[in-house]
Amino acid sequence: MLFGVLLALGLLTGEAVRRYLSLPRITGYVLVGAALGPEGTALLDGNALFELRLLVDLAIGLVVFELGSRVDLAWLRRNRWLFVAALAESLFCFLAIYAALWYFGFRPLLAAMAAAIGTATSPAVVLLVSSDLRSEGQITERMILLTAVNTMFAYLVVALLLPFLHLDQQADLGTALLHPLYVFIGAVALGAATSGLMMQVARWLGKDESRQFVLIVAVLVMTIGLAHGLQLSVAVTLVTLGLFARNFDRHHVLLPVRLGHGGQLFFVILFVLTGASLEFHALEIAAAAAVAAFIVMRFLGKALGLLIFGKPSGIPPGKVGLLAVALVPMSGLAVVMVRDTITVYPSFGRELAAVVLSAVAILEIIGPIATQFALRRAGEARPGQ
Amino acid sequence: MSDSEETFQASAALTLGIELELQLVKPHDLDLARGAADLLARLGRRKLPGAVKPEITESMIELNSGVHADCAALLDELNVLRKALAEEASLLNLQVSGGGSHPFHDWADRRIFPTERFKWVVERYGYLAKQFTVFGQHVHIGCPGGDDAVYLAHMLTRYVPHFIALSAASPFYQGEDTLFQSSRLTAVSAFPLAGHIPFVRDWPEFLDYFRRMKAFGIVASMKDFYWDIRPKPEYGTIEIRVFDTPLTLRRAALLAAYVQALAAWHLAERPHEPVQDIYLVNSFNRFEACRYGLRGELIDPYSGAKHGIGEDVLSTLELLLPHAKRLGCDALLAELGDTVRHGESDADWLRARYAKRSLTDVVRDACAKWAAH
Repeated sequence: MLFGVLLALGLLTGEAVRRYLSLPRITGYVLVGAALGPEGTALLDGNALFELRLLVDLAIGLVVFELGSRVDLAWLRRNRWLFVAALAESLFCFLAIYAALWYFGFRPLLAAMAAAIGTATSPAVVLLVSSDLRSEGQITERMILLTAVNTMFAYLVVALLLPFLHLDQQADLGTALLHPLYVFIGAVALGAATSGLMMQVARWLGKDESRQFVLIVAVLVMTIGLAHGLQLSVAVTLVTLGLFARNFDRHHVLLPVRLGHGGQLFFVILFVLTGASLEFHALEIAAAAAVAAFIVMRFLGKALGLLIFGKPSGIPPGKVGLLAVALVPMSGLAVVMVRDTITVYPSFGRELAAVVLSAVAILEIIGPIATQFALRRAGEARPGQ
Repeated sequence: MSDSEETFQASAALTLGIELELQLVKPHDLDLARGAADLLARLGRRKLPGAVKPEITESMIELNSGVHADCAALLDELNVLRKALAEEASLLNLQVSGGGSHPFHDWADRRIFPTERFKWVVERYGYLAKQFTVFGQHVHIGCPGGDDAVYLAHMLTRYVPHFIALSAASPFYQGEDTLFQSSRLTAVSAFPLAGHIPFVRDWPEFLDYFRRMKAFGIVASMKDFYWDIRPKPEYGTIEIRVFDTPLTLRRAALLAAYVQALAAWHLAERPHEPVQDIYLVNSFNRFEACRYGLRGELIDPYSGAKHGIGEDVLSTLELLLPHAKRLGCDALLAELGDTVRHGESDADWLRARYAKRSLTDVVRDACAKWAAH
């Protein structure tokens, strides 16, 4: 019942904001979620969120898997400047946010942690907005590729910083170094192993889109379960799974994934629940300056990295700017990452969490609009969409 | 535009040039890409022979050669263009493929390349314009005068089934095996001004026809005729437009050599005079070639006899030998003859790839073939 209401309300609001305000559907889904969530009318409470967890996990799983499968390593090999641009985009963004937070007096270690979390662009937003607009072209392709790179970068830096947090908490050196290594490398290994398994089965199944889709869902659900059980990073596991499936499928047994109508269903649920998880109450006047600096520096960092290396990688400066705008959406995964960090390390601080969570809340609303604007402006959206 | 079109700019006899429409493909799902504008912008900054141009939808790009006396030079020049195109495409993560049709793209997804002419074509022809995302090779042969152009248009119509069968490379369309060797020409036939040149005797008679069509308001320029073979007075050429783009550049050059030798033979010996029967048998012959390729049959309008298209090509190649030697393209024609003797065709090659069960594999292999040859 609740599930049906969520879907229907999400669907209708999404359609309404698109029709009357020309905003992306996602914005409508998020608004419905925010209105129903604990911060709003509280119709969606913790229990309800828990009941829908499998669906949400699967939705995120599909998104992150698709993201990984859109990373073309051969392209990065042929176009080295593109690889450099992708690294610079992540690195400069990280440094810019770090500088902003450091300026506001946050402890360097915690500022670095928050900056790493902030570097990631939302995979779900870029994939859904581009598929909604049926956009095609260089900005679309590069936006998706850069999102994959900055997501991996964010998880890697978080993993690298964890030892220092551990030490901060007076853990012993062994745990401090080995645990993060385990979380990251274990995830890559699990993703690689399951992708191998998936290709073996797909080879036997044959080339049929609907059978392969069921196979992917089955593998994803199992892998998510395994990653949870082994306490590995789920997102890294699934990006690796997608990336390996795309790049190491030597016999070309896997067909390209098309999410279709089923995909829409997952997306509506995902964004309604993302909306419900947003923490608007964290927005305080006192922190407003820090939040604004976080958002602005984040954008400038991304833009700077792309402006320097965009041209040699093959796109003109005007389009580089639009690409930076398209990358604005911040990942809802950040909410999870911040909460996880707080549970383990309470010293992360209420204030810093407030800054990051407020930035997420704001960017969940304006991010999809920015991406939609950029793709339309670049002429890559299908006319009339 | 109109006055210059009525004067036939004489050009050196038997010079040749070709235009090749190519497919731009996304590596990740092997569907057609939207990449022509970005690619053209990059190619525009390089110094290249010939020309690279947009076509009606953004998934197409057209290579134009310069004017050449022989096919070897033509092939060298086009190879330079092919390599430049491959380099720029790889930076943008696009792949390039030959072939007359993309096997599974959805025509409704295509985007029109934004120029005035293409916008007008869409306005005028509706869905036909997007369905026109098919890929052909045009061969231009230089003619010393308009009368020669008209004569050659009639004469070469006898060989249209050869051209279709030799180039056929579009067995799949919209995700289905059409059972045709070349399905591309069906997309062309839908246009109201498709077909062939009327049975006129010389250039003045042709101009008279053109002026009347203009006066009726049916055409505005020579470009509005979507004929299989049409005179191109501003270039001083006759243009043959029935070829599918082959899967390799080399085969495109072999086809050009064949047309050049045919034109040389006819201009030198005038073996036949135009007869109406050429056009009586034309649609039957054309259908046979599209449907069955080299395994089809054609009716010879001069003798009334039926021949297998493949055998007819081989016996024509015999007749052309002295002229091919004179032009220096006898080795290329021998190579073309060998492929016919071995029963090789691009359409069959594509079908053989499909034995692997997915059309994405067909496109992937076609891209690799274009890149390698």
